[in-house]
Amino acid sequence: MEQKKNFMVLGSADPNIIGPRMGRLRFEGKDEIETPNFLALTSRGAVPHMTPDVIASNTNIRGIHMALEDSISLADLTYGPLPGSKRISKMADRTEEWLSDLLKSRCQAIFAPVLPLDFDSQSEYINRLADDLADEIAGLAFYDSNLLPDMPATTSLSRLPRLSLDEPASPHHIIRQVSLGMDIFTIPFLGFATDAGIALTFRFPRPLPGDTDIPIDNGTAVVPLGVDMWMPTHATSLLPLSQSCSCYTCTSHHRAYIQHLLSAKEMLGWVLLQIHNHHILSSFFCSIRSSLKDGTFYSDAEDFAKIYESELPEKSGKGPRVRGYQYRSEGPGEEKKNEAAWGNLGPDDLVEGGLVPDENAEELEEKGFAERLS
Amino acid sequence: MPSALKYELVARCSTTKARAATLTLPHGPVSLPLFMPVATQASLKGLTPQQLEETGCRLCLNNTYHLGLKPGQDVLEKVGGAHNLQGWKYNILTDSGGFQMVSLLKLANITEEGVRFLSPHDGSPMLLTPEHSIALQNTIGSDIIMQLDDVLVTTSPDAKRMKEAMERSVRWLDRCIAAHANPARQNLFCIIQGGLDLELRKTCCIEMVARNTPGIAIGGLSGGEAKSDYCKVVNTCTSLLPEMKPRYVMGIGYPEDLVVSVALGADMFDCVWPTRTARFGNAITRCGVLNLRHSRYANDFRPVEEGCECVCCRQGEGGLGVTRAFVHHLAAKETVGAHLLTMHNVHYQLSLMRSVREAIIEDRFPAFLRQFFRDRYDGDKTSYPDWAVEALKTVGVDLMEN
Repeated sequence: MEQKKNFMVLGSADPNIIGPRMGRLRFEGKDEIETPNFLALTSRGAVPHMTPDVIASNTNIRGIHMALEDSISLADLTYGPLPGSKRISKMADRTEEWLSDLLKSRCQAIFAPVLPLDFDSQSEYINRLADDLADEIAGLAFYDSNLLPDMPATTSLSRLPRLSLDEPASPHHIIRQVSLGMDIFTIPFLGFATDAGIALTFRFPRPLPGDTDIPIDNGTAVVPLGVDMWMPTHATSLLPLSQSCSCYTCTSHHRAYIQHLLSAKEMLGWVLLQIHNHHILSSFFCSIRSSLKDGTFYSDAEDFAKIYESELPEKSGKGPRVRGYQYRSEGPGEEKKNEAAWGNLGPDDLVEGGLVPDENAEELEEKGFAERLS
Repeated sequence: MPSALKYELVARCSTTKARAATLTLPHGPVSLPLFMPVATQASLKGLTPQQLEETGCRLCLNNTYHLGLKPGQDVLEKVGGAHNLQGWKYNILTDSGGFQMVSLLKLANITEEGVRFLSPHDGSPMLLTPEHSIALQNTIGSDIIMQLDDVLVTTSPDAKRMKEAMERSVRWLDRCIAAHANPARQNLFCIIQGGLDLELRKTCCIEMVARNTPGIAIGGLSGGEAKSDYCKVVNTCTSLLPEMKPRYVMGIGYPEDLVVSVALGADMFDCVWPTRTARFGNAITRCGVLNLRHSRYANDFRPVEEGCECVCCRQGEGGLGVTRAFVHHLAAKETVGAHLLTMHNVHYQLSLMRSVREAIIEDRFPAFLRQFFRDRYDGDKTSYPDWAVEALKTVGVDLMEN
């Protein structure tokens, strides 16, 4: 059962060269994905916060990643399950077995996992992939990108697209993995930033001319990777999240609105941040591809490392309401994970969902809401 | 007083008191009868203003109480009002803020000056007056603003207090008119009070109509009174209101209530129910409400409502073709499920009112009403609600007729 070729490495595909590369990924009936690129992460089959119409009209998302345990339905991309066994020697054997089973029954493109073990512990499995199964699988999924350089230098493996499940912690890690030859990414920090109320603002390799509020002091000052939208300083700011950004959020709304929505805990705040953050990542990968095309990737990567801070801003505000599957129940009598948005004044039997202002009298008066009686 | 709206009567039902009209407001025209979704804190529960626009909504609500607290008058002023804050090009209506104070703050106490309450944080006595409410609404810049009224639950047994509340609401209306800074840009609506006492309601109508506000609201309802009492109040008031002004019944949103109220001569409605119930996994459909959290929908691959033209249900170009099974899978787990149902429910309400309007214009509203109840109760006339049957009889429609 030969897998139709769905990936093309552009430029040199010499298996002996470890380095960044560009490619084109295609699945039947779907648009092409130029790589390096990323897949949006999903939860229960949905990209958190964004309805499919918002994704279609306001983002450049080219594909999504669904974890099997989330859903019984399968995506375009499927990869073998991560074994739960503690016995490392068993892990590779079992994965190989599972993969073979999956290949027999499959109707979709299947990515074979490369396990987060040292190469020796899974060499037999990897060699089997290279020698026997490479034609049948659609790609490799790496739980640890550091194993990339250890892969056997065979054309059968190097022509396969590489999916990173290695959870880069920042754009710096993405750049490092690209430089090792990774093609497709899943980026959990994107969702973490959105939930934390952080608007990502980084560009590759440097801020765009429009981003005037970012200080560049002779190249010595480091530029933050994002803006914490919980900060009250944004409350009256009519600036977009990022001045150079052309996403729906930045062209239709301003910081004051996002700040208001976060502090009012309105779901739209996270929707608008999610749109923007996905747009920033799409542009980031687009610039990386241009840089690869122009042959300036290594010097651009060095610039990026110098210009930008190494970590995302600290989370200062609260995230959206915690959803049931995000924590494990501790049994009866556990505390509520979500604070009530409003409390009652007086006994609980009065009204359901009462509304009590957070502010004290002086603040209320300042807000023009009512006046203080002496 | 000056007005910033134009009311054009398009058609009148030849049987009931229903009317179809075009109401032109500072941010564009809207078609009456009309349902207005509630974007309490300057956002419609997870929908982008673009998505809200796509449902066909051209007039939504913001709550003055909430906006007065967050982001506050100062921010609203700097940002240039609620339209600028939320990037909404169309019309906004705001309430007075008084209703939330009275219904939700236990220690609130109404005096002639205004609503007195203790700051819940430091216990300082505070006062919200008609002047505060109007100043805030002027800063918000909404196209329709509401007077501060003295609201009592309609079921209150205290007749003396009810009369006092009605009379005070009239006096507060005068203070609101005097305080209103932008009558040429914002339309102040009065609010008829008087509980379930039809005589009080009549007096209030006469007094308030004399004040000549651009539009008129009927308030204090939807507070747990019997539906038949509700209908009597609406019917009584609409008979006393001027023909050429919009009539807004506050807090109404169940589909049966909407179509009956239109038949009784009301034009505008608002309610949080459609969007709130969406977040609980409930889809409003022609045949009733579906609770999509129920396991029977886990493998139901039909659209949320068959034949529905909303973005969520529609198949093909621009539609998502979302299935009941998908919403079931997401409901109460991922907010995307709530957003999808919110789109559907808002679309249902708006499209219901569009078909009501068409039926009025084509003078087949009584037939529309009969079909509406047939669909909703699966043709079983014995389960039609008595109050609706009775109310429609008073305006010449017999649902029981074959």
